[in-house]
Order: sequence, then structure tokens, then C-alpha cells
Amino acid sequence: MQLNIAEVIAVLLVAAVFTFGGIRIGLRFVIRRLAGLIFVMLGVSFITFILGYITPGSPVDLLCSKCTVEKLAALHHFYGLDQPWYVQYWTFLTNLLHFDLGLSFQIRGLRVTDLLSQGIPISAQIGVLAIICQVLIGVPVGIFAAVRAGKWSDTMLMTIMLLFFALPTFIVIPFYQLAMVQLSQHGLPFLPVAGWGDPINFVAPVGILALVGMGFYARLTRTTMLEVLGQDYVRTARAKGLTERTVVYRHAFRNSLVPLVTALGPALAFIVGGAFFTESLLNIPGIGFMAVSAISTKDMPVVQGTVIMVAAAVAVMNLVVDVVYGILDPRIKAS
Amino acid sequence: MDTKDKTNLNIPNEIRAEELEVIPGSIEALDQAAAEGATSISPLQAAIRRFWHDKRAVFFLGVVLFILIGSYIFPFIYTHVGPPITGGILGNQQMGPSMYHDPYQIDLSRSDIPGTFLPLGPQSMVHPLGTDAIGRDILARLMAGVNISIEVALMVEIFDIGLGILLGALAGWFGGWLGMGLDRFTDIVFAFPGLLLILLIGAALGPVFDGVFKGQSAIFGRMLMLALALGLLSWPLMMRYVRGQTLELKERQFIEAARTAGTSTFTILTKHIVPNLLSIVVVASTLNILATIVGEAGISLLGAGLKPPAASLGLMISDSVSKIYSSWTELFWPCILLVILVIAFSFVGDGVNDAFNPRKKD
Repeated sequence: MQLNIAEVIAVLLVAAVFTFGGIRIGLRFVIRRLAGLIFVMLGVSFITFILGYITPGSPVDLLCSKCTVEKLAALHHFYGLDQPWYVQYWTFLTNLLHFDLGLSFQIRGLRVTDLLSQGIPISAQIGVLAIICQVLIGVPVGIFAAVRAGKWSDTMLMTIMLLFFALPTFIVIPFYQLAMVQLSQHGLPFLPVAGWGDPINFVAPVGILALVGMGFYARLTRTTMLEVLGQDYVRTARAKGLTERTVVYRHAFRNSLVPLVTALGPALAFIVGGAFFTESLLNIPGIGFMAVSAISTKDMPVVQGTVIMVAAAVAVMNLVVDVVYGILDPRIKAS
Repeated sequence: MDTKDKTNLNIPNEIRAEELEVIPGSIEALDQAAAEGATSISPLQAAIRRFWHDKRAVFFLGVVLFILIGSYIFPFIYTHVGPPITGGILGNQQMGPSMYHDPYQIDLSRSDIPGTFLPLGPQSMVHPLGTDAIGRDILARLMAGVNISIEVALMVEIFDIGLGILLGALAGWFGGWLGMGLDRFTDIVFAFPGLLLILLIGAALGPVFDGVFKGQSAIFGRMLMLALALGLLSWPLMMRYVRGQTLELKERQFIEAARTAGTSTFTILTKHIVPNLLSIVVVASTLNILATIVGEAGISLLGAGLKPPAASLGLMISDSVSKIYSSWTELFWPCILLVILVIAFSFVGDGVNDAFNPRKKD
């Protein structure tokens, strides 16, 4: 696997977080979290392997439908498919550590990592933009609602946010597409219904993911803001005679930011789940789209590769969030 | 959203005095006397009363029940309403409403027609919401789709509640290395990216289940597979609720009394702990049903769930998504039905949560 600058920077950043976290909050904390991560990844890889193992129809039969029995047996031996499952799992694991996810069943000779490395940048761009939009819309809405807690504007906003959060991505997309078709048929300006390749194609997936995800941030911000606004130091700030604006933005908001960091883990998992629907319904060639089309063509290595890759991304993200949270809030060390 | 809140739900903690040997003058006897003459209500009754005062939740509970029960009752009426028409696969069959209102009846002479509900008249009941690409009645398929969703949800709840109570009560009661091991195991399952694993299970086990369940039972086989996949991923949350509740119950006096009376651990768990877990289990599984319905639709939409002849809401969406230019109503109806279900279930869930958790109002 070839490394580019973005990957190197990402790896260095993660390493820096762990080093700093180890110094600041103790090595034991970081090691325990790392051990948890390794267990999760072992579990995910085992389930992924065993599900591929029990799928009827061996990959060799698919590759070579007209072969003789002897040749099939030879091929089985060549790919190691005649060995017991634990040997195969061990091979699978060692290959995984070398970033080797095997070959695609459908497109002969294509390595799964090569296929996925085409999709990852697209999915990552959409995901990062969507999280930024969610935070930029959700957090102000949450602050607005917290400052007006109990009033009708708060209730209404929170109800709307709850509904957007409850709506599945795969229902919002058809409504978006129906709206665009109606706009185009009445000669009004409209956005593309589906497709990829043009900057304008970013609008639909990012907008839809931001719409369904911002409710999470809005509700979380509101809850933490209400908690912080009830603290003694906020009362002190008010008693000093500071303006409400200064109290809210300088004293309350900054301290309510810390729990928001923990939301990044679930947010990433949420974006990943949504990506399968946005990419397959909007025809965006990201990894979600690849996995979904691999399911329909029964291309197990591609499905397995996507699952492991995304599971690893989510698990590492959760770990980084844990450590960052520990750095930001030293009280966490006690628990 | 924040799942920790739900762990400290109130539970009915009526002391089951009749199951203990009551010694005259003891604390148990006093408790029994107080219970007989008492006018106070149990926490469960209080929660139900609070729920009934929440008008919004009650209204949406009505909507949910109308859709869920209606999807079983209305097909009986629907297959008897409508004029006789000519059509069918060959195009020259005489068909009554019991045939063309069947969710699986193909009618190529009547494909992709828009809803016939307006103008009102005898013909308006032929296909009120129109037909899909191979002439199957959309209203009939919507009802069949809701049926499938409910049945999958019920199967999921069986796995969810069974595994959740078993592992949760064991982990909470015994603690030690067993509890520790179960906790870590739950943590690992909890950390799995759910949708991905369900997709993987669907892709890998789908063909296996298709091989076992053939012909008439093919749809059931896929439903069972989906229920297994969704159930295996939803029990960790239930396990955590049950575990928290068991830990709390363990310290209660009536358990201590049962222990002192020499009741076996098995009897304490089945007779004293599990009945007291009931309300928390009911709340948690109610909240889980919406996730199951949405999950079933989503996975079927992505092609790893139910397969084409089945009338799944997700399949209806994925089938019609390419026809938004020519016949957009086919896409509109399953989507709007899911929107109504999601909204109604969300408000009911909110109401249930508030009713069982009165102190926690954020």
C-alpha cells in the first residue's frame, strides 16, 4: 500500500495523541483502551472471516467454472482453501496486517485494497464535510435552545431536531430526489438528482447527512449547556455583572465544548451508516457504494474488506476520542 | 440518544410477601398489612397514568396501533372491495378484488398506473394508490410490507429479550469473573459497527437460508435471517439495562429476605428478579421496535435483506427509485408510510420514556 502525505499526517497525528495522552493521563489508561481496541478488531475480523468461510460456493468455483475436478482441487490447494478453518483464519489475519485483503471474485486479478483505495477519498471527503456542517448548524441551534430553555421556540426547535434525527437517511434521499424532479419539470433551478464528478454533486450527500445528523449535536449541546449554565462559576460570572452574552459565550459555551468531543465517535459511526444509503441511492462511487454493489454480485472479499476497514476506522476514532477527552478533562482519569 | 438515562427506570417493587413464610409480628407481616390496606399505586400504574396524561404520546400511540393492527385487518376488507376487471399475467383473465388486491398478483396490462382513487366511482377502488412496475397493487403491498416489518420486529424482540435477560441477570447477579467476562463480551459486541455487520451477515447467510427455506417459505427464511442479524446486534443494550436493574434489585430487602429464608439462587432469579425486570424490558423493547422496522427496510433496500417477491417497504423504495421521472407516486407511498411510522414511534417512545422516567426531563 502506497502512503501519501495525508495518510502520513494522519498516522503522525494519531501517534502524537497517544504519546501526549500517555504522558498526560497515564500510560495505563491508554494501554487499556488499546487492548480493548485490539479485542474489538479481533472479534470483527473473526466474524468477518467466519461469515465468508461458511458462504456456500467457493471463490475458485466462481473463477473457473469449466475446470476439471483435478484442476479445481489443485486451485483449492493453491489458495489454501483445503486447509482447516483456523489455519485459514491465521492466514487471513496475517494478510490483514500486511494490508492485503485478497482478490476480488468478480473482477479478475483486482486487489480489494486497490478497489477500496479509489473509494476511500470520496467517502472521507463527504464524511468530513458532513460532520463539519452538522457541528456548524447543530451547536448554534443547541445554544439557542438552551438559552431559551422551556420557551416555545426551544420546544419547537428540539421537536424538529428530534424528527430529523429519527428520520432514516434512505427516506430523506427519495424526498430530495422527488423535490428536484418536480423543480426541474416546472422549469425552476434544481440540483442534480444523482451522480458524481462535479463539485455540485457534493451538495446533496453532505446536505442530507448534515440534516439528519445535526439533531444529535443540537440535543447534546443543549443538555451540556443547561448543565454548565447551572454551575457556580456561571453564577459568579453573572454576579460580577458581566453581560449575558459574555457569560454564555465566554464562560458557559467553552466548557460545554468538552463533552462534544465524545460525540465525534458516534457521529462517525452514524456517517458511515448513512454513507451506504447516500452513496448507493445517489450513485457516488465511495466505499459504501462498492460494498453494496459487491453484495449484489456476491463478491465477498470486497464486502469483508469494507467491513474491516470501516470497523477499524470507527474503533480507532473512538479510541482517539477517548484519549483526547482524557487530555481535555483530567477528572476522567479518576474513573 | 444518551442511553445511560434509561438504566435507572422505576420498577414495580411490590414485595411478594405471599411467597415468603410470614412470621407474625415480623417486618414482612407489617409490610403485608400495609400493602393490603394501602391506597398507594405501584410505580408501573403511576407510569401508565403519566403516559395517559401525555396527549401527544397517546395520539401517536393511536396512529401506531391503527397502522400496525390495520395492516392485518384491512386486507380482509380490501380483498372484497372493487369491481371485476379483465387483466392478469395473460391479460385476458377475469379478476375479482380478491385477486388483483393480492400483494403478489402480477398484472402486466396494468403496470405503473397512477392512483385511481380520484375521481370517486366504482373504478376508483381498482388500484387506489396505483400499481408498481409489474402491476402489483401498491396499497396491498404496503399492508403486506408492514406485516413483514412487524413479524421481523417480534422475532427480533424474542432474541433481544431472551439474550438480554439471560446474560444481564447472570452478569448482574453473580458479578465476579463471570460478570466481568460477560461485561467485556457485551462491550465488544456493542462496539461493532452494527449496519456493516448486518450487511455482512445478509450477504453471507442469505444464500445459506435460501438453500434451507425454498418455495413458499423462502420469504420466511429471509425474515428469520434478518431477525437473527438484528437480534444479535440489539441485545447488548437490553443486557445493560437488565444488568443495571439486577444490580439495584440485588441490594433490596425482599431479596435479602428471600436469601435468609433459604431460597435457592435459581428460584430467586426466576421468581423475584425476572418479574421485577418486566417494565424495563417492555420499555426497552418498545423503543427497539422502531429501530428494527427501519433497519429491516434499510437492509432490504441495500439488497442484503428480503428478496424481490417479498413486499418489504425497503424493497419497494429500491424498486421505484429509478422511476422518479415517470411514476413518482410509487416511490412516494412507501416513503411517506415510513415517515409516519418513524414520527409516531418517536413521540410514543418519548412519552414512554417520560412516563417511566419522570425525574429526567432534559
